[in-house]
Amino acid sequence: MSTNPTLRGSTKPALRGPIDLSRRGFLYRTGASIASVALSALLAEDQARAGDLAAKPPHHPAKAKACIFLTMEGGPSHIDTFDPKPKLNQIHMQEFVRRDKFASAMESGTRYYVRSPFNFRRAGQSGIEICEHYQHLADCVDDICFYRGAVAESSNHPTALYHLNTGNKFGGDPAMGAWATYGLGTFNENLPAFVVLPDLAYPQGGAANWSNGFLLPNYQGTPLRPTGSPILDMDPQPGVTRECERQNLDLMVALDKDEPARVNQHDLDARIASYELAFRMQAEMPGAIDLKQESAETLKLYGVGEPDTDAIARRCLLARRMIERGVRFVQVYASGWDSHDYLESAHRSRIHSSDKPIAGLLKDLKRRGLLESTLVIWAGEFGRSPDNGIRRGATTWGRDHNPQAMTMWFAGGGVKAGHVIGATDEIGQKAVEVVHPLRDVHVTILDLLGLDDARLTYFHAGRFRQLSQFGGQIISEVKG
Amino acid sequence: MKWRYLSLALLAMIARAQNTSAEGELIFQNTVGPALRERCTNCHGPSLQSSNLRLDSRDGLLKGGARGPAVTTGDPKNSLLIAAIEQTGKLKMPPGGKLPDATIAAIRRWVELGAPYNDRKPAVATTNETISDKWAFQPLTQPAGATIDQFIRDLLARKNITAAHRASRRTLIRRATYDLWGLPPTASDIDNFINDPAPDGQAFAKLVDRLLASPHYGERWGRHWLDVVRYADTGGFSNDFERPNAWRYRDYVIRAFNQDKPYNQFVLEQIAGDEFAGSEPEKLVAVGFLRMGPWEHTAMSVAAVTRQEWLDDVTHSTAATFLGITMECARCHDHKFDPLPTRDYYRLQAVFATTEFADRPAPFLPGEVKPDFAAGRALMETLQQRVDLRIEEYRQLTLTRVAQKLGLSNPDAIPPERAREAAKKFELITPEEFERFKIFQKRKELYARSVTRYSPIAFSVTDGRSEAETHILPVGNLQTPGERVTPGVPGAVMVPASLKTEVPQTIQNRRLPLAQWIASPDNPLAVRVIVNRIWAWHFGRGIVATPNDFGKLGKRPTHPELLDWLCRYFLDHHWSIKEMHRLIMLSDAYQRDSDPASDAALKADPEGALLSYFPPRRLDAEEILDTMLADSGELSPDSGGPGTLPEINLDVANQPRQIMGTLTPAYRPSPTRAERNARMVYAFQKRGLPNPMIEVLNGPSFNESTPGRDATTIPTQAFAMLNGSFANHRALALAAHAESIERVFILAVGRRPSPKESTLTLDFLRRREAYYKQHPAPPEPAPKPLVRSITSELTGAPVQVEEDQLPVPYESDLQPSQVSPHVRALADIALALFNSNEFAYVY
Repeated sequence: MSTNPTLRGSTKPALRGPIDLSRRGFLYRTGASIASVALSALLAEDQARAGDLAAKPPHHPAKAKACIFLTMEGGPSHIDTFDPKPKLNQIHMQEFVRRDKFASAMESGTRYYVRSPFNFRRAGQSGIEICEHYQHLADCVDDICFYRGAVAESSNHPTALYHLNTGNKFGGDPAMGAWATYGLGTFNENLPAFVVLPDLAYPQGGAANWSNGFLLPNYQGTPLRPTGSPILDMDPQPGVTRECERQNLDLMVALDKDEPARVNQHDLDARIASYELAFRMQAEMPGAIDLKQESAETLKLYGVGEPDTDAIARRCLLARRMIERGVRFVQVYASGWDSHDYLESAHRSRIHSSDKPIAGLLKDLKRRGLLESTLVIWAGEFGRSPDNGIRRGATTWGRDHNPQAMTMWFAGGGVKAGHVIGATDEIGQKAVEVVHPLRDVHVTILDLLGLDDARLTYFHAGRFRQLSQFGGQIISEVKG
Repeated sequence: MKWRYLSLALLAMIARAQNTSAEGELIFQNTVGPALRERCTNCHGPSLQSSNLRLDSRDGLLKGGARGPAVTTGDPKNSLLIAAIEQTGKLKMPPGGKLPDATIAAIRRWVELGAPYNDRKPAVATTNETISDKWAFQPLTQPAGATIDQFIRDLLARKNITAAHRASRRTLIRRATYDLWGLPPTASDIDNFINDPAPDGQAFAKLVDRLLASPHYGERWGRHWLDVVRYADTGGFSNDFERPNAWRYRDYVIRAFNQDKPYNQFVLEQIAGDEFAGSEPEKLVAVGFLRMGPWEHTAMSVAAVTRQEWLDDVTHSTAATFLGITMECARCHDHKFDPLPTRDYYRLQAVFATTEFADRPAPFLPGEVKPDFAAGRALMETLQQRVDLRIEEYRQLTLTRVAQKLGLSNPDAIPPERAREAAKKFELITPEEFERFKIFQKRKELYARSVTRYSPIAFSVTDGRSEAETHILPVGNLQTPGERVTPGVPGAVMVPASLKTEVPQTIQNRRLPLAQWIASPDNPLAVRVIVNRIWAWHFGRGIVATPNDFGKLGKRPTHPELLDWLCRYFLDHHWSIKEMHRLIMLSDAYQRDSDPASDAALKADPEGALLSYFPPRRLDAEEILDTMLADSGELSPDSGGPGTLPEINLDVANQPRQIMGTLTPAYRPSPTRAERNARMVYAFQKRGLPNPMIEVLNGPSFNESTPGRDATTIPTQAFAMLNGSFANHRALALAAHAESIERVFILAVGRRPSPKESTLTLDFLRRREAYYKQHPAPPEPAPKPLVRSITSELTGAPVQVEEDQLPVPYESDLQPSQVSPHVRALADIALALFNSNEFAYVY
């Protein structure tokens, strides 16, 4: 889904190839003022354009070499997870009316405040307050940096999720994982560089959430399926064995080799090589996803096999196995956080289903010495409101969407562990301290991975594009 | 080479410096400026200068007031302003409460970055003097020349490059057929052309005429245009709702190319068809262009915001499509590189300010109605009735439970007001039932849209919005409107004074003057853009290699004089695109071999940009799929009408996908082969579910204009091409009617096998056939009910949902279990050929 400034010709296939000098020529012609902005980008871009997925050095030294992004789709409530608001106990059920040209239908009209149905407790040496139902994550708070200052823009699921994932509310841009692999390549070319582990159903907005956008498709997130062929069409058709397939491939190669040499022979050879790479990927993937290789103790640590936690546990464990094998960026989805109603039962179940798996992941990474070099991010597309609309007679307490306040957390690679950064107001309506738009969060994440957002650019549709869209600031408080 | 790396390092340093200043400007724009205006300049500004200090300009900050300079650039520690706002010393500012920490941090950073004070008004008139190097905006020149080849040859001669010789007839017919049809020539087409006794030039001219006269031409070139305008049959985002009449725009585009509609007319119709042609259906359909971008409004959106999103989208897409300029930058600030002040952006936007979305009655044109309309409508109506029944079941279920709760035996006895109240309480329904109920409710909404596919309605617009004042929005922010602007065409600066255009401020007819201005022979930019697009679609690369960007950041033309000469030719030939095809394809440059004349020639022209040889290309995604269908004899002659549903990867088809509140229905391929196997241009384009095989082969974006396709090589393509069911089904169908290796070659690659290939494949065939005799194909799995899962929002538990079976039988594709071992083995050879480089590339 990419549209490059040059139509064809400059797009080189997925193996290292000669760098396209004419692009450089373009730089010299346009003069330093533009060229300078472009330059670092183009050097990296030339490599990346050559389809180079080989590991590349970061822009600056960084602890985190890989990233696991735990995406809590639906918008978890900060108020009921990691940002306690006792004030709401006092104004619980108090009514008010909101009329505002810039408020959506959802946010308008008669509203009432809702207290959290949960208690909070202090955890770890740091004594950070978290929801009582996070029984396992409580063991990990000293490894976590909770950030309460992030501000999103959209209060609609797909636009907010696109914004979180790609920096662009309207979608169509490369996802964070695509940018990261564009910048850093991968350690294992036999596996996809950017792996996505979706929930049962794809999120609103679909696969565009892990799109390569205008970057080449090498950088697209590859969803792994829990059943059947883990990667699309990776398994041969029924009744076709791997040996048959090898022979089919050999026949194809023999026919190709019989052709006269062509001006684009490099592309043609690369295409043959990509079939070989696919064949190797096919060999490596089954082992990579085989959870039977894990010990009973590890399975238990994540909650694999327990009915409530099994699904997310498997994804978290797969994430670790991918990172171990050199995958650069893994995104794990856990959906169902959109509790407009029945907050207590819905959020409690979401917390319960994800608590042990996520804590298990952090503990497992730590004991294997992988947490230092892995940045773990936990975030939803927005936070939730302290108030709710009167629906069903205000009996089914819940919370609506709230892009002005949310909690996200970071663990591992280079973050300020055991700290709470930023704050929301006393009812959790708005971020008020260390307030940063999502673009700053993006710049910070790239920075933690050793990438400079201002240098990680790609010329597309008339301008240099970057994850933050127009640049942003590093949230230095989050860094350890 | 050394100087190159030195200068690279130098440029990299400047790059960093530049980026810092950009960061400073952005911080100023977003935070510092507003904070100063809100909290400081009332006392330290134009009306009051307390302590002799003014903070409304950079000079004021540097000069300072009674206590000395307010800011030392780059040094926040020694800047009084910072001390004052951080309130670390005696001086505590501003009165009435400390600034938020984030703002203070931003001001600190901004001082660190040199305190760039961008107090430019958003609208700055740019004059002609500053754009002298902006070649694309200059009037067309009158280059002397008689043919395309003269220009190409001149440049090659200057660079001392020898051109490649003329391509063989076999190469040429394949090149031309893919170019104009996006399909392969048949073996007999090839033979006829090779054996045509006419001289080469004449024979090729006849071929081009034949290809241009076929409706396949519009299918291929229409697809190019659909790429540019981001055509899709759904709106994207939360619901990804169907646009049930959008297909008429797709068919309009295909028709326009087939009829060789003059391009100026094509422009007028798409921008303003409704304004000049009353309610003529064709024109109402054509303005669907204005609504082609992704767009949605839901209860979670703000009406003013979604309206503005459309206005921004239509402004960008009109500029990119017809003028080849990127206006996104100008939305927030004056364009840094091109003559596009923010004022121009909003003046252009004001042209659309009175336009409203409208699905308008528009009787079908002859040929638009297809024979299967009745069946299609009947299917949708059946689905509607079914879903109504299911919803009624749930209503009855709820009522029964209410009755039980109230101790009544008969639900009819429930007082209506109590029924409604009780039914609202979902405790009466289990979470599983609730999830299923939501699915049916959503389906009702979806089917109600789908059924109108077959109604004579145009996905269109109308002039009618009266609240249509347009204001400049500084930094693009809707909540802080700036100066009001009147509608106008962009860049009074970029066209000659002779082409002045007034856009009226009335509600009606704002778009027509814009369209006329774009489609004027005196608008050099618009003409260059379309001529360059045509060139690029022929050669894989434009004379300007960035067809959507003629601005300063775009590429310079390789042959500027040739471009202008082509523009003149185009205007002289009444904006006829088919005439351009003839002109271009009959040139020597087009008919050259793709093998460079020598290594020296290749070195001097490594990408073929100078056309010393014909640049090869990989087939586009749709060409690959269409070719497999054509080769297997399955390509359906069906054309036009509501989108078809080709076979796609089954896992993707069945993958549960969320839409607002629930799941979207599974993707189910069209039940009849005729519909399923139509050309890909007719496939239903769902923004939320692109055909994965097309996507992996560099398909077009649904969000951004695609001026030309990439051709990347990645392993997942190999999976789709080698293991995917689409490729395998086509290979089997091909083998079933080929019966011999020779026929397989003829059908798949249009030629007989070489002796070496014969030996190779015959050996393979024997071994494979023997293997299949031992290993019969597994029987086709019996269709099972499709059960999918969604995570319940109430309980977090997975809820299983069974998908309805379609009420029409599915015509299966040929299965391996239905054919002999011989045919299965031949199919493997066909599959190998589908995957060969020979198949995938055009020379």
